[in-house]
Amino acid sequence: MLGAEVRLEPIRPIPEAATLEARAAALGERLFADPRLSRDGRMSCASCHDLARHGADGRTHPSGTEVTQGSVKTPTVYNSGLSFVQGWNGRAPTLEAMVGLAVTSPAFMGSSWSKVIQGLRSDAKLNADFDAVFDEAPTPETVTAAIAAFERSLVTPNSRFDRWLAGEDEAIDEAELDGYRLFKSYGCVSCHQGANVGGNMYGRMGLMGDYFADRGGEITPADLGRFTITGLDEDRHLFKVPSLRLAVRNPPYFHDGSTETLAEAIRVMARYQLGRSISDEHVAAIERFLTTLVGEHPRLTP
Amino acid sequence: MRRRRSFFQLFLLATAILVVLLLFARTQVLDNDAYFGWSRDLLAVKELEAQLDRDLLRVSAFLLTQYDPLTDVQEKLEPLGRRFRDPGAGRYGSTTDGIDEAIDAYWRSLGRKQALVERIKLQAALLRNGLSYLPLAVEELAASGTPTAGTVLTLLNRLYLLNLFPSESDERAIRETLSRLDARIAEQGPDAAMLQNTVSHMRANLAGLLELRRLRDDYLAMPSGERFERLQTLYTAHRASAAHRAEQFSRILFVLTLLLLLGLALVLRHLEQTRALAVRERNRLRDAVESLGEAFALFDSRGRLLLSNRRFADFYLWLAKSLEPGVAHAQLERETLERLQRVPAAGATGASATSQTYFEHLEDGRWYLASDSKTAEGGMACVRFDITEAKRRELELRKLSLVLEQSPASVMITDTQGSIEYVNPRFEEVTGYRADEVLGRKPSFLKSGDTSEEEYRDLWETLSAGREWRGHFHNRRKDGSIFWESASISPVRDEAGRVTHFVAVKEDVTARKRAEDQLRMNATVFETTADAIMVTDADNRIKTVNPAFTRMTGYAPEDVLCKDPRILSSGRHNARFYRRLWERLLGQGSWSGEIWARRRDGSVFPALTSVVATKDDCGRVMEFVAVFSDMTQRKSDEQQIRYQANHDALTGLPNRALLQDRLELAIAAAQRAQRALAVLFVDLDRFKSVNETFGHVNGDQLLQKVTRRLDACVRQADTLARFGGDAFVILLPEVGSGAEVATVADKIIARIGQPFHLADREVYVGASIGIALYPEDAETADAMLLHADMATTRAKEAGRNRYQFFTIGMQRSVRAKAELEHELRRAIDRQELVLHYQPVVDAATRRPVHYEALARWHHPTHGMVSPDRFIPLAEETGLIEPLGRWVLETACRQLSAWQRMGWSHLGLAVNVSARQLELGFTAADVESILAASDVAATSLVLEITEGLMLDGRAEFCTRLQELRDLGVRLAVDDFGTGYSSLGYLKRFPVDELKIDRSFVQGLPDSSDDVSLVEAIIGMARSLGLELVAEGVEDERQLAFLRQRGCGLLQGYLLGRPASGEAVSELLACSLDSSSPDLDSALHP
Repeated sequence: MLGAEVRLEPIRPIPEAATLEARAAALGERLFADPRLSRDGRMSCASCHDLARHGADGRTHPSGTEVTQGSVKTPTVYNSGLSFVQGWNGRAPTLEAMVGLAVTSPAFMGSSWSKVIQGLRSDAKLNADFDAVFDEAPTPETVTAAIAAFERSLVTPNSRFDRWLAGEDEAIDEAELDGYRLFKSYGCVSCHQGANVGGNMYGRMGLMGDYFADRGGEITPADLGRFTITGLDEDRHLFKVPSLRLAVRNPPYFHDGSTETLAEAIRVMARYQLGRSISDEHVAAIERFLTTLVGEHPRLTP
Repeated sequence: MRRRRSFFQLFLLATAILVVLLLFARTQVLDNDAYFGWSRDLLAVKELEAQLDRDLLRVSAFLLTQYDPLTDVQEKLEPLGRRFRDPGAGRYGSTTDGIDEAIDAYWRSLGRKQALVERIKLQAALLRNGLSYLPLAVEELAASGTPTAGTVLTLLNRLYLLNLFPSESDERAIRETLSRLDARIAEQGPDAAMLQNTVSHMRANLAGLLELRRLRDDYLAMPSGERFERLQTLYTAHRASAAHRAEQFSRILFVLTLLLLLGLALVLRHLEQTRALAVRERNRLRDAVESLGEAFALFDSRGRLLLSNRRFADFYLWLAKSLEPGVAHAQLERETLERLQRVPAAGATGASATSQTYFEHLEDGRWYLASDSKTAEGGMACVRFDITEAKRRELELRKLSLVLEQSPASVMITDTQGSIEYVNPRFEEVTGYRADEVLGRKPSFLKSGDTSEEEYRDLWETLSAGREWRGHFHNRRKDGSIFWESASISPVRDEAGRVTHFVAVKEDVTARKRAEDQLRMNATVFETTADAIMVTDADNRIKTVNPAFTRMTGYAPEDVLCKDPRILSSGRHNARFYRRLWERLLGQGSWSGEIWARRRDGSVFPALTSVVATKDDCGRVMEFVAVFSDMTQRKSDEQQIRYQANHDALTGLPNRALLQDRLELAIAAAQRAQRALAVLFVDLDRFKSVNETFGHVNGDQLLQKVTRRLDACVRQADTLARFGGDAFVILLPEVGSGAEVATVADKIIARIGQPFHLADREVYVGASIGIALYPEDAETADAMLLHADMATTRAKEAGRNRYQFFTIGMQRSVRAKAELEHELRRAIDRQELVLHYQPVVDAATRRPVHYEALARWHHPTHGMVSPDRFIPLAEETGLIEPLGRWVLETACRQLSAWQRMGWSHLGLAVNVSARQLELGFTAADVESILAASDVAATSLVLEITEGLMLDGRAEFCTRLQELRDLGVRLAVDDFGTGYSSLGYLKRFPVDELKIDRSFVQGLPDSSDDVSLVEAIIGMARSLGLELVAEGVEDERQLAFLRQRGCGLLQGYLLGRPASGEAVSELLACSLDSSSPDLDSALHP
């Protein structure tokens, strides 16, 4: 029924969160805010991924295992389950793998699984709840499964744009629709497409111009993108195309968080990715369109 | 030889079975599930790969504008890849025919394909952007009017053509044109910048186009298809060969099984033949053994029974069940030994190396001669002869000779000529002649000469005629003394009937003749003495009594003979008395003393008694002779009688009569001396329940203990008396002040309040004390006691375990109460009683949930009488029974009316008192009242007081449970005022608690009340009980209670008690208006 009525556009509506893993997700929700996952008991996933704001913290952090690798902007955890890989450079193929990295990486929570499991197993109530869901006490596998299940539930359906896609003509106004037309005609939509408006392919930063030279500053390992994972030359500066679903809510922009405003980010994209200059009027129109992509989630402040 | 052969056969069989099992296991190798899973996964991968190919082509042809479908395919491929190469799944690494390598190769190419997909996605996006932007750029250029516009447009068209139809020559031409334009840009014309932008986009597009083609070609050139084919081929071959192997194994298995069955059949046939032969031989042997006259049993070398004949079973009847071939000799012995005795056989037939002979004497008296012999095989053959008859004869003979030897009569045997052939030891003893002195002589040497010749002639004639002769001899002993003998002489005949001997049996009767004289004299004394004489035998059965006995007791000899002397027992003596009597009697042979005895007519008399045990020569008691005389006269001692009349038998305290005397004396003395005196009436609390719980014996014991404690509380000069039941009175004949009396009362309450140890338990009772003082309260003994009693009743009402001084006001209130009772009795008949109803509302909605029915008494002269006055009175007098029934009936009828009005969910609360339950108010009553008024049990809440639960009687608990089983809800009224205890809440079937108004009053300012109410709410929640707060009077209380989660409220704020009609009107209004503003409607 839905599929038949949805407008045929490169952007697809966000599906409702699956309820199959509801019990595991409920456990994951508790663990998401559980500081026992960190080395010093002071951090949790929620420390950086503020669900009430936009699922991130608006800051850049050291990335990867080495502090010297440079900082990357905290991506939002909302809709992360819709992305084909996790991390700016796609270093975690799944959410589960990403949770593992977040727990053990010194740049994040810096703990070890043995310590985390020991901490969680001393909680009788939690043990009982794990037993009820997974038939066993917390293990690295069940803990990551629970958190990943929770993260998969963090989708933001029912945005105005999605309602428009579903045939509700009044959901967005003419100006916003103009913005969408420009988004398509400038070619933004070539990469930012699909349900997550991005997040399903890699793109090279600076296709039509040398972004890094113009940005200035040292080129850090983090700037090398997917190259740090594969070591292939063709993967240099290759990054996962980020989702634009919550883009208006979640500055600064790009993997290095170098751009503070959305308008500026749109200009940077036009210049380095499309090789075009763009008028302020068009920037404003695209910005307007981007506001229609913000959907709903009970934890997300509207 | 034969053993070796059978061992070889066994080995063959085991090997065959092993081979069969092995083959069976091999045929199971073909695991269909695993193969099925493989096939399914192969198909799935193939399908996903095809999907990936299709989507990739769509992307590279710009037909797919969003990449989610590609992502989906890759996500599905990922777990499949893991499954294929998971060694744990039993596929990867489990075969050797190159399948693993094929899997690796295939997944490598799939991986490469996916990497290419990523690049194609990016390339396609890039290219699409260029294609959509270039027309714009060219348009802009044309609008600027530059001369190169035409060239650029042509170039654009070519570029698009190239995108559609790849051609190297076109590509070359485009590159040349682009180079020319480069030159043009270098000329720095006015359109240079715009031109450069267009040219760079075109170049990027051209490069992108070529790159995309290259990537797509790479993708399509991936040998994943062939690798999949190879994998599938290998897999199919693997499966086919496995199936083939399994089939071969099955075939071998079939053949082997056939061979095994054949072998089995041969072995079975051989076994059958052997068995038939053995049976034949066995039967032959059995027949032989059965025909034996003796019992026979044969055991093998291990002691197992091989065979036994029927006679053996007859000999040992208890073995009938066990006697089966194979049973162990040891077991038969176990079963046998307890039923017989083994006696070694004397003489040469006893034990030897190979056989053993002995006798067996059975419980039933039979004798067997047993012989156990070892057999050649090391077994044992047991043979038994029944020799019971021979044994019996032998024993009889021995017995007879013993009789002769030990006979108390002297025996002499002579031949027919009269020569002595035998005399027994008694003969020697009596006559003084030794046997060797008399053998061969004629008995005439014993003659004293006193026996006449006629007598001897008569003797010989009788004997010659073959008859027995009886008579007396007057004979002479060897020492010359004369003695009397009674004799019986009989002829002894042989088997042919000829007389062969004479036997003379004689008895020395000299002593007997003397004793007869003595006895005759004793009998005269026995008959004529004034003292009663009773003789009992060793078993203490009455043998004889004399006429004086009959006169004294009224029992004739035939009434008491063979009876136990206990018939004379008065019951006044305890067991210890009799024990001592018997100890002395049996120890020292006699006892004398006083015994209270009972006559036949039931009257009791004291008997001065002396009992003697008479013993035989061996010191064994033969009989007891009791001689006694009536001493009734002496016992009618006045002192004794007075004591019994004035003292309580149980406690030994002065009784009511003596107390009365002493009190009168004390009052007279006090009057003379112008002194005060006090009477303390002590009534035990809860004594009744102790009596009921522990029984009267323990109750009596408790009273004795209480007596001792009370005694310790008073002075020598004071009188402690038992007034009856559990009431004691203490007379203090000399008191200074009321305070002094109060001190004594306090002391008593403290002492009695300590636990008592009773029947291994700690028992608590209390004391309520009423005090009357002379001369203030009364001037006569009767009035003093009455007033003290009244004060006690007041003390009990005031809560027990306390004392209360009598006051004149008390007297008045008692009188007033009596009047009130009289009027209450009439009030029920005259219908002066009415019911008022007070709402209990939902804290959240303020809507009434139920109404509590409250009885009111419109007294014709006194006006409204408070229930606090008349309900306790009704309980006391039992009027509560009809009153309670009337209340419930009236209230139920009222509720039924309201429910019919439309308030169908409205409920009703009615108070029930403990006294009502005591008076027989049962669940059946409630059920019938509910039925009569057509009200559902669930609409009714019965409110009971905490006190009822504290009472703790199991009977109440049962009653309440029965009520609850009806569906009626139970509420605890005035909760918190008694001894709140979780214990009874759990024990009793309660649904609801009503927080007493006294706690609600202080809310929310009194911190005590706040914490108490919070505690009650918490407790109720944990026990799952509904809560009602009583006495809610202002909004702050309401807000507090509602916030703390108290569900139901009652009080003036929410509605005062009103008559049934008034409530009906209110309910009708709020139904009609159905306005949300119910509050105003419910507050008149």
